[in-house]
Amino acid sequence: MHTGIAARLAALNLHLPPAHRPVATYVGWRRSGRELLISGVGPTWGQDVRFAGRMGKDLDEAAGIAAARLTALNLLAQAADALQGQLDYLAGCLKVFALVNSTAEFVQAHRVADGITDLLVDVLGGNGRPARAAISAPSLPMNIAVEADAVFLLREDAPNHV
Amino acid sequence: MTNSHEARLRDLKLELPDPAAPAANYVPYTISGKTLYVAGQITVWNGELRYLGKLGADLDVAKGAEAARLCGLNIIAQARKAAGGSLDGIRRALKLGGFVNCTPDFIQHPQVINGASDLMVQVFGDAGQHARFAVGAVSLPRGVAVEIDAIFELV
Repeated sequence: MHTGIAARLAALNLHLPPAHRPVATYVGWRRSGRELLISGVGPTWGQDVRFAGRMGKDLDEAAGIAAARLTALNLLAQAADALQGQLDYLAGCLKVFALVNSTAEFVQAHRVADGITDLLVDVLGGNGRPARAAISAPSLPMNIAVEADAVFLLREDAPNHV
Repeated sequence: MTNSHEARLRDLKLELPDPAAPAANYVPYTISGKTLYVAGQITVWNGELRYLGKLGADLDVAKGAEAARLCGLNIIAQARKAAGGSLDGIRRALKLGGFVNCTPDFIQHPQVINGASDLMVQVFGDAGQHARFAVGAVSLPRGVAVEIDAIFELV
């Protein structure tokens, strides 16, 4: 069933990182009915942090957006983990909460967060456009540049593995 | 009855605080279908504020985790009330959102919020496993060290 979404990822030359394993007593995702709740993820590749630092000091906007795109790929990687690789069961994205590691002067958190939502729309189409909140955070775990969580909507026929 | 959250709470000899009334024009929880949304809970014990200050300056990580655990106890108290007075009306935890009042150089947010995550698993067993985020905040209401909100699924 490598049609729609997997094919779109390939066409965009996007590769999903291995799903980050939470290192504490929480899980990467939780499913309730047709909603799939994803834990906060960051710009990591597996367990490696790829973008660390603070907007307004350590990273420019291009780096922030690259960090945001990798964060979005990690949201999709968790969804792929939940759906045993069958991303086509994603019907869309309902909500994204984006946190941008920022100095007190940095006011472009929304521009960085666009890196997340633009990628979700690239991959999922119009239904990938979520309700979104984007805020600056003074610090984030492991000094990651961006963190985001998400709620995805699943297709009605998504098998219940949970 | 290992499947009973109420029994597990008793076995753990955990005392829950009284569910706090909200401080403004919002409610402590809402229910949509089987989804229960609990408003952000802070480090208060029956009206008395505890764990004030910032991680990285005023509190160490161990104290921060204790603060998160207290937020978790308040979340469980609200959830129990929302579920009709018994934790057995809760099917499972879905999500925690953790905010840590901290200095800009503080990066151990996960270790702090673990105080609440560990509590959920202690009280609800496997059903306490949840998705989560943990972030830093420049300040939190009334100067508390930690604030956490939650989403549960009802039976």
